[in-house]
Amino acid sequence: MGKRALLALGLFAGGAVVGTLAVAKEKLPEHLRELLELGMHPGHVFVDEGRDYYHNLKGPNGKTCATCHGQDGAKLEGAYAKMPRYYKDIDKVADIDLRILSCMTKYMGFDPKDKKFRKEYDKKLRVPLATYVASLSNGMKINVEIKHPKEKEMYELGKKIWFTRAGAREFSCAMCHTVLAGKRIRLQGLPNPVKAKSYNHWPAYRFGSDRMWTMEDRVTSCFKAYFLFTKRWDEKKDWVKKPPLYSKEVIAVELYMKHASNGGIIEVPGLLR
Amino acid sequence: MKKIALAGAVVGLGLLVACQPAAQKAEAQKPKKKLSKYEKFKIAFYQNQDKWQKYCSNEAQLVPQGISIEEFKKAMLATIKFPPGGKVMGDWKRGEKLFGDPKKGGRSRRGNCYACHCGDPQIIACGNIGPSLRGYGKRGIDPKQTYMRIYNSWAFNPCSAMPRLGYWGVLKPEEIADIVAFLHSPESPINR
Ligand code: HEC
Ligand code: HEC
Repeated sequence: MGKRALLALGLFAGGAVVGTLAVAKEKLPEHLRELLELGMHPGHVFVDEGRDYYHNLKGPNGKTCATCHGQDGAKLEGAYAKMPRYYKDIDKVADIDLRILSCMTKYMGFDPKDKKFRKEYDKKLRVPLATYVASLSNGMKINVEIKHPKEKEMYELGKKIWFTRAGAREFSCAMCHTVLAGKRIRLQGLPNPVKAKSYNHWPAYRFGSDRMWTMEDRVTSCFKAYFLFTKRWDEKKDWVKKPPLYSKEVIAVELYMKHASNGGIIEVPGLLR
Repeated sequence: MKKIALAGAVVGLGLLVACQPAAQKAEAQKPKKKLSKYEKFKIAFYQNQDKWQKYCSNEAQLVPQGISIEEFKKAMLATIKFPPGGKVMGDWKRGEKLFGDPKKGGRSRRGNCYACHCGDPQIIACGNIGPSLRGYGKRGIDPKQTYMRIYNSWAFNPCSAMPRLGYWGVLKPEEIADIVAFLHSPESPINR
């Protein structure tokens, strides 16, 4: 409700925004900037929702996030600035989406194989929780390190994926975001998230679709453009729209991009058109 | 989903004919385990990458040193198939829909040419990744060249951003011919 009302207000204040390119904060359309100046960032609804889950959502064993990480996320300040990174307890490089899921299944008693829980986490809890936890690092510098062998391995994988041409559209992250950066795909300007250190504004609220997205959503969604298929089209259409959440490939490109954003000041939730 | 329904129908039919053998048959043809989303992604992303895409997967996104551009183009040329009778110009109105349906603001699921090219001046939602194709038919280009370029752009410009739409089967030869007609025909809004 609140979000919708803000959206309407925003459109009202700013008029049509067709073709306005808002890849970075400075380039935000007028009405979005006005909203921000009024202190009405629609993404804050998600921060509040995440804070609520953080303190009140109990796992089957009665624990909440706050049980381990302190009231108001006291012990999580700065954590997001270093993610993705290697975590010993799960023996994996995890980003924020996977890290929170791992906490819930490992320490709060949720069953990782319980489909109902997974759906609830993926669709409902993940984004607000990730946004809240990320916001605890606001004002801090991104500082991703590539030290542990698994971090090195993931970084190399991420770099490789960045340049990998695949699918029936011959795309790669680099094609759109390095080679063609600055051009338009239809009316949509192509940003260069590696050079622009734009990781600092993720998770971001996307005005046009009235949704909050973590970087996992952004990356998996970019894969939709590839036309990935399991069989040649003339044999049988078999589409693979995007890699599933928490895949190694997604976390690897996140690591690659966020490392390139080191030094950027975290300011979430971001606000994009 | 469909597969299961089909298997059910087959079993049902078999039961009507003869109980025992049908049951055995169903056992023998047990459908393979359904691939997970991740397995499908891995097939699509790693296994189905062709060797030419592999060549282009470098920092410059261009043909790397040590690979002959001429050989590359030759190999790509060899993949091009023509429509029956070698007719490279089809129906421009059908081509228009494949290029980008004006009724849908220039969108089309498969051709989606407006994502990268401008064309019909009425479609303003067009990208600037490829050159503008406005007035393309007046440039004296051989329609056969245009056909080949859309079928496999890498036969002309290896590692280009332009997808090899015929090569992957995204567009059938007849459909490409329709698009060629849209680009060349004097009646087409591209040339008016
Ligand atoms: C067909 C083109 C295309 C491809 C391929 C593509 N993207 Fe994108 N990407 C976009 C567009 C369009 C946007 C949205 C820009 C906007 O909203 O202003 C975007 C946005 C992004 C952003 C947000 C940038 C910002 O400024 O906040 C990131 C990060 C990103 N993409 C990463 C990737 C990665 C990683 C891959 C490869 C796995 C990839 N993209 C592949 C088109 C593409
Ligand atoms: C992802 C981007 C992209 C898409 C989608 C795309 N193109 Fe292109 N196209 C390009 C680029 C880049 C070039 C220039 C380099 C080259 O020729 O490969 C080009 C070149 C061309 C040329 C040659 C133009 C000239 O001046 O010689 C034609 C004709 C063409 N495209 C037609 C099409 C048609 C028809 C479609 C859709 C069925 C299409 N393109 C889809 C990117 C694209």
